[in-house]
Amino acid sequence: MSNPQKTHAPILKVEHAAISYETRYGDVEAVRDVSFDVHRATTFGVVGESGCGKSTVAFGIVDFLGANGKIVDGSIKFQGRELVGRSDAELRKLRGDQISMVYQDPMQALNPSLTLGDQLTEVLTIHRDISNQEARERSIEMLKRVYMPDAANVMDRYPHQISGGQQQRVVIAMALLNNPALLIMDEPTTALDVTVEAVVLDLIEDLKRDFDTAIVYITHDLGVVARVCNEVGVMYAGEMVEVGSVEKIFGEPLHPYTQGLMRCVPKLGSTKEGSILYPIRGRVPAPKDRPKGACIFAPRCDYATDRCLSEKPGLISYREGHLSRCFYSDEINPEDWSPSSDMISSFSPQETAPAGEPILKIDDLKTYYDQESKSLLSLVGMGEKLHVKAVDKVSLEVPKGKTLGVVGESGCGKSTLAKTIVGLETPRGGTAEFLGFDLSVPVSDRDVKLIQDLQMVFQNPDSTMNPSYTVGQQIGRPLRHLGKMHPSEVKEEVIRLLNAVRLDGSYYKRLPRQLSGGEKQRVGIARAFASQPELVLCDEPVSALDVSVQAAVLNLLLDIQRDHNTTMMFIAHDLSVVRFFSDYVAVMYLGHLVEIGPAENIYSPPYQPYTEALLSAVPIPDPTAEQKHIRLHGTVPSALNPPSGCPFHTRCPRRDLLPDGGKICETEEPPWQYNTEEHRIYCHIPLEELRTFDPVVTSR
Amino acid sequence: MFVRDYMTRHPVMVEPNMSIVEAQDIMAETKVRHLPVAGEGKRLLGLITRQRMRIPPTELASLNVWEITRYLSNLCVKDVMVKRKNVITTIPDIALEEAAKVMTEEKIGCLPVLEDDIVVGIITEIDMMTLLTDLLGGYEAGVRVTLRMPNQKGELAKATGAISDQGWGIYASGGVKTPKDPGHWDCVIKVRDVSQEDLVAVLEQIEGHEIIDVR
Repeated sequence: MSNPQKTHAPILKVEHAAISYETRYGDVEAVRDVSFDVHRATTFGVVGESGCGKSTVAFGIVDFLGANGKIVDGSIKFQGRELVGRSDAELRKLRGDQISMVYQDPMQALNPSLTLGDQLTEVLTIHRDISNQEARERSIEMLKRVYMPDAANVMDRYPHQISGGQQQRVVIAMALLNNPALLIMDEPTTALDVTVEAVVLDLIEDLKRDFDTAIVYITHDLGVVARVCNEVGVMYAGEMVEVGSVEKIFGEPLHPYTQGLMRCVPKLGSTKEGSILYPIRGRVPAPKDRPKGACIFAPRCDYATDRCLSEKPGLISYREGHLSRCFYSDEINPEDWSPSSDMISSFSPQETAPAGEPILKIDDLKTYYDQESKSLLSLVGMGEKLHVKAVDKVSLEVPKGKTLGVVGESGCGKSTLAKTIVGLETPRGGTAEFLGFDLSVPVSDRDVKLIQDLQMVFQNPDSTMNPSYTVGQQIGRPLRHLGKMHPSEVKEEVIRLLNAVRLDGSYYKRLPRQLSGGEKQRVGIARAFASQPELVLCDEPVSALDVSVQAAVLNLLLDIQRDHNTTMMFIAHDLSVVRFFSDYVAVMYLGHLVEIGPAENIYSPPYQPYTEALLSAVPIPDPTAEQKHIRLHGTVPSALNPPSGCPFHTRCPRRDLLPDGGKICETEEPPWQYNTEEHRIYCHIPLEELRTFDPVVTSR
Repeated sequence: MFVRDYMTRHPVMVEPNMSIVEAQDIMAETKVRHLPVAGEGKRLLGLITRQRMRIPPTELASLNVWEITRYLSNLCVKDVMVKRKNVITTIPDIALEEAAKVMTEEKIGCLPVLEDDIVVGIITEIDMMTLLTDLLGGYEAGVRVTLRMPNQKGELAKATGAISDQGWGIYASGGVKTPKDPGHWDCVIKVRDVSQEDLVAVLEQIEGHEIIDVR
């Protein structure tokens, strides 16, 4: 059937909106000249890097801008009615009745001191004057609608008693209770694990179809955009630079910024040998530094001409429904793009050396956290001791000069494994050996030589840098303590390290607060590499960074690794990044290793069923790619009381392949099956059967 | 085919205290002809239509130019709307033809769709027209043939059987009693991936069927 929906006027029509914040330096224009339409039963995605004004647009629609924010120009029409200039009372009524919002962190949207039932029914009793009993029934119905297991009982629980994914489902249920015409979602899945994210994204698709809701979906993740959005608006520095259907934005991006973004993200399956990530040079200008009367992207654009610097391009329609804010979108062919000369020399793909001797050997490693039982006996020290088995029976080796990626859901023990290796946790059993050193010794008792050779890059550079020390002092510290360098040489060496992470000497005297997120992470990397370590553990080093910065940091890590032949352990939840960056990949579930092998083997059959489910959940930045639909139900079991037999049997979608519906999985621990010498799988299902699975992702 | 599948969810609505001028603006902006009037919690209070916006000539005649301006600017939605008790409504779980019957009997252009007195949608003449077009395959490319067949059991099956025997697919079909000829039945069939000649050649073979029109 042709789509008669288009004959309806858009639910939301934003025209030339400009939003400013009052600051002590005067008004700062956070968003300007933004226009887009959102139709019923479609999802309009707003993408861009942090600081581009995505959330400001969302808040502007419902005028949640706070005391210093205001809409200074343009119009925002909801169902034909102008929202700009409405009184608070009128907007409040609309927000309750017809517009709902879902935010990034579900815990902040829920009141921790009220039961979920009270919070849900309140929506109905306040806005609709419905009796408590009826409101309760409707709330339970809506919870079932968002696939909440055991909905009736969840009503009596408090927010902390359910998992993060379930919390977000409650928030979505709450948003939908009043059957809103417009739903605004601001990074609703960013805080969730991939497997949970996949279920929530499916849910959003279903709800859009069944309720005909128009959705504004704000995200930085191009993979998520490709999965849920129909229309996309790309924002850069407060302006919409490209608008079009999701197929067009990904298939033939018109604006140089969009094209740059596409080159920044590794596709699932691309490797460091076969492809290169090209970061966009420069960085997003702060609102007060944005060029006036010129193209806002011109300072970072490879195609910029004099015209771009002296004249501001409008949002021009190049094809039906595909607009771009660029003078030259018709002339630019992204396939003809070539990296500027300084990129080619350093980032060209290289053949990797054959694997050397293992530098890190871990055998049957166990790290447990003690937990007192709640019985009275434990008060006098006689209670039964319980353990959280954070890392259980993990064995692996990392050859010199190679990278091992570690993936898994949150709580699977990735970070504990890293902490144990670096000495912040003491293992309960098993052996870990690195260059002849025993790693079961806590870091305080370790030899200086070992500390020097084993360094770590942390996820959040903010919390790992001392805010009152300059960059120079922070990088100099390991040099003085570990490198035994003469104090007079330290400064020179620090500047050399800064240059190696592409920061110039002027950063020596800066304080952490004067750096952007990407720069801080570079300093963190420089500090980790200062003592010329043999092994660097990177715990989610790029998760907190924007895609263009992420590409630059990944390239930098690759470069340094090649120069020094450093071995790395790379912990991340983004499977495309891990594939790109790693030679070997280890998949963890509930403290156990379930599959390990060379990266290319992990991403193609035979899969461990958990790996298969992870791969099918990861959002791929390509709307034409076909992905198998495997969803894990239930939550990760408690590590305090892990399931018997195979730890994954409670959620495994493949156990039915075994006789008796996989009874053996519940009773016996699976064997390690060797697909190749290096690739092994922890599963009862015979390898021959695992090999017959189709690949999870097929690109057209 | 139920009302819930074809109604427009989230209809544009107005509040009772809105000025009539603003309601007119909303109608123009959204190209909508019927506005349900809803109060707190989307409860239905009334309905305004374009006819309702007209000022009765008798009333107009008694006013002078200045009074008209004042009269208009003070006019609110609640002053002109059809009151709740006079609005004919429907529910989502009702067959479409039932809703259509109500609309023709009452000669009205729309039915607000309610669930527990809360507006969940609206179904209008346009939705019915869209459905009629779609029922007869009007949005799809293909060959449309009208057959006149005797009004007895098994006749339509002859035609559809002949088409499916050829491996062709039927997009849509619809039949009505032939106007002024109760002994016959007119049936429209839309067939895809076929040429007019081939289709006619096959349908001509059926005894008692007459091809009224092919396009």
